[in-house]
Amino acid sequence: MSSEPIERRVSYLGDRLRVTRCQICGKEYFEIRDYCGNCGRKSFGKMLDTDLFYEKGKLEVCTLVNEPTNKFTKLGGYFYGIVSFHEGKIRVPGRVTDHIVKCDEEIDFSTLEGRPVTPRFRRRYSVDKSDIIPTISLTFTFADEYYPHQDHSLLKPSKEYDIAGIVGYGCYSSRFRINEGSMQRAIPFVDEDAITAAVEAGKLALIHSGVNNSHIGKIYVGSESNPYAVKPIASKVAQVLRLGEEDEEDDVQGVDAVDTEFACKAATSVFKDAVSLVNYSKSNVDNAMVIGTDNSQSAPRDCPGGELDMFVGYGAAAFIFGKNDVIAEVEGWYSCTSDTPDFWRRDGEPFPMHGGRFTGDPAYFKHVRKAAKKLMERLRLQVDDVDYFVAHQPNAQFPVKVAKELGFKEEQYLPSLQVVKFGNTYSGASPVGLAAVLDVAKPDSRILVASYGSGAGSDAYSLLTTSQILDKRPRQKLTVKYQAENPFLEYVDYTTYRRLKIGM
Amino acid sequence: MQNLPAIVAAGRTRFGEHYEKEPEKLIEEAWLKASIEANLERKDIEACYLSDYFLPITNKLGLEEGFLSELTELHVPMEVTRSFSSALSNACNAIIAGRHDVVLVGGIEKMTDRWDKIRDDLMLLEDPWSFYAGCTPEANHELMLRAYIKKYGLKGENLEKLNIALAQVSVNNHLHATKNEFAQYQRKITLENVLNARKEARKPLGLYDFAPISDGAATIILSSDKTAKRLTAKPVYVLGFSSATDFLTFPARDDLTHFIVTRIATKNALKAAGLSLRDLQLAELYDQSTVMEMVSLEDMGFCEPGKAWKSIYESCQEYQGYYEIDGRQLFVNMNGGLKADGNPLGATGGAQIFEVFRQLRGEAGERQVKSDKGLKHGCVLELEGFGTKGYVYVLGSDKN
Repeated sequence: MSSEPIERRVSYLGDRLRVTRCQICGKEYFEIRDYCGNCGRKSFGKMLDTDLFYEKGKLEVCTLVNEPTNKFTKLGGYFYGIVSFHEGKIRVPGRVTDHIVKCDEEIDFSTLEGRPVTPRFRRRYSVDKSDIIPTISLTFTFADEYYPHQDHSLLKPSKEYDIAGIVGYGCYSSRFRINEGSMQRAIPFVDEDAITAAVEAGKLALIHSGVNNSHIGKIYVGSESNPYAVKPIASKVAQVLRLGEEDEEDDVQGVDAVDTEFACKAATSVFKDAVSLVNYSKSNVDNAMVIGTDNSQSAPRDCPGGELDMFVGYGAAAFIFGKNDVIAEVEGWYSCTSDTPDFWRRDGEPFPMHGGRFTGDPAYFKHVRKAAKKLMERLRLQVDDVDYFVAHQPNAQFPVKVAKELGFKEEQYLPSLQVVKFGNTYSGASPVGLAAVLDVAKPDSRILVASYGSGAGSDAYSLLTTSQILDKRPRQKLTVKYQAENPFLEYVDYTTYRRLKIGM
Repeated sequence: MQNLPAIVAAGRTRFGEHYEKEPEKLIEEAWLKASIEANLERKDIEACYLSDYFLPITNKLGLEEGFLSELTELHVPMEVTRSFSSALSNACNAIIAGRHDVVLVGGIEKMTDRWDKIRDDLMLLEDPWSFYAGCTPEANHELMLRAYIKKYGLKGENLEKLNIALAQVSVNNHLHATKNEFAQYQRKITLENVLNARKEARKPLGLYDFAPISDGAATIILSSDKTAKRLTAKPVYVLGFSSATDFLTFPARDDLTHFIVTRIATKNALKAAGLSLRDLQLAELYDQSTVMEMVSLEDMGFCEPGKAWKSIYESCQEYQGYYEIDGRQLFVNMNGGLKADGNPLGATGGAQIFEVFRQLRGEAGERQVKSDKGLKHGCVLELEGFGTKGYVYVLGSDKN
């Protein structure tokens, strides 16, 4: 049993790497401090609360840990060292993550020391299944590998739109892949899960949008692999990303945070809620963030429900909605629902089940077709009016088949088809497809999204890109393509895949 | 005039695994040996200063004093601290102040009772933030070594010599322990053993670079110098002692290559004793790792910063049982050090004091140090955590 108060305090400092700087002498502390050791009493009230969350560090010295303490054994071996920030003004302990130490790997610490590293938000260590999941950002990856360091700067709003829409987005997937058949699928590292991917995607969306995190009044996180049955992911995201107003008096964020669940459409379902909220003049919410995140669950291959094991992926996408500096306006939407049990997971069960009878029709095809058609009718759109079609992508066949049925051509649906690169990312699946399209779409392009959630329902949206999509594009290096075709991707075998998937 | 604290007797158990014994039984054994040596009865003890680093965690013993009271049927003041050196500091202060005249100082630890979780406990207590980041009790030593290599720009042949010097530290300590009946490992090891273990671990330090986990107890009887003469013909005086404190979080410290606590405590202890380093022929250093022994030689001032590996390397070309530093002999860790004697945290400092006590009285048997000028002074360095606290004692067979 872990102690909630200790957990809370360690996470509060460690998730964000909160730092206090003395504004008199410049000394920095990895903690919240009211005064400086150098300057004493005169520094009261002159200590600045800041953090290292978006900073780039340097791995000063490191060693290999091959016999970790008990809570870290599931990581196998890992590099561990001391990371400095701000030219050595502040040093913290750090574990190098996203690296599987191989038994035949040539290890030379001097080639690792001195390299730039980026703090990553991860699970801290293993705990009992009934315990609070400990997290931390004293985990680092090399900034010259898969995940580059990116500056975080706020953009002053320059243009207000009549129609609300997406103002920024981010897509995150890990560097690990399994390559089977015609599909590559993303796999979380041992210390990753739906929570860490949500935070990561949200962070990338903030970097891309330039939106002030304190102006985000609502955060929705859609997932079907929340490691908690009761406890929101959204609260973690809100705190780590410091969403909403903050008071000096306490550590509570002025944001409404909620988790949503509807199989794979948990996130897309609330795009309209986010859009409506920022459009309502009395809501006092300038921006709302929606994240779809999943460490897509599946039973092992030879067990009931194991047929999904060929398809499941890992990833998250986050979208920030607002009315300023919009990159894609939301023109309209249509949602439909029926009580069709094609895929489910009972409470307390580790893996979802899959009847098989309903999967294609009447589940996926019927709902996606209906939502897309109805929306096009309502907006009086012809197939040619649509530049990009994004469908939910549980596998490589379904989205192509439904796109063709609706009359779309390859150039309209192929850019969004990411399932062959990342696997089925469940709540993140159509959002990742949408992110891939936003990465490449020209201004004044129309994007039709049709998600699908088992159980069952579909949300269709029509988005129209603006000229600002080009302005903001250089703000994001970690695009969908960058992650799909990265030279630092690491491919693992089935045994490793299951180990990583199950995690800490 | 102030009283001078004097050690009149010392007792200890063998260090190692004592799974069959309760913790109280270990300290009883150590106490009996010391009390027989001083010909004292329980009722002669005016106060007890005890130490254990984490009995409340390893054995779920809170209020250790109560267990000892029950065992000894004594109702005198008893205080528990974390290290033998801190207990001894309190005892010395009481003697100096004249508050007590004869006191027991004892240390005990029972680490193997929690062998499956002991490294987690050690790490979490030593440096919580590093623990959260994935540190192990060994990793901080390795990082210190990496920082040392970088700071002093060691490469090629020098780096090779440094690595051999560190391996030699372990070999020496094992050699010394073969003559110590109380040592946990009374067997020789070879340079190849140490180097192969590192190679196998694929990291800067391996199995043979680190002190083990141990059970054990040690006690001494401390009195004022006046009373000491009644109790023994050969008291050993605590001529000077001091301690210092540093940050818990190792990466946050200014210097990653040295322990500032050792520097401060050594300086102050020598000053209190009115002695200089040159007067010390014998040092019991806190070699939780081979790196710690090397760095401590520098921190205490025996070697210049960045140079200790050289002295060790050269002394070990034909090892005579001591390090030769600037033409002087320095006997280090004659009991085998923490590496081979064992490291039951709360009792470790007791074994260090025990060793210097025996050596200064000429009672160390086979491992007795023979010094040309006669052995008069020795010192003990004990650390708590990874250099979070440092205690230095300067002991002498004469009052000066």
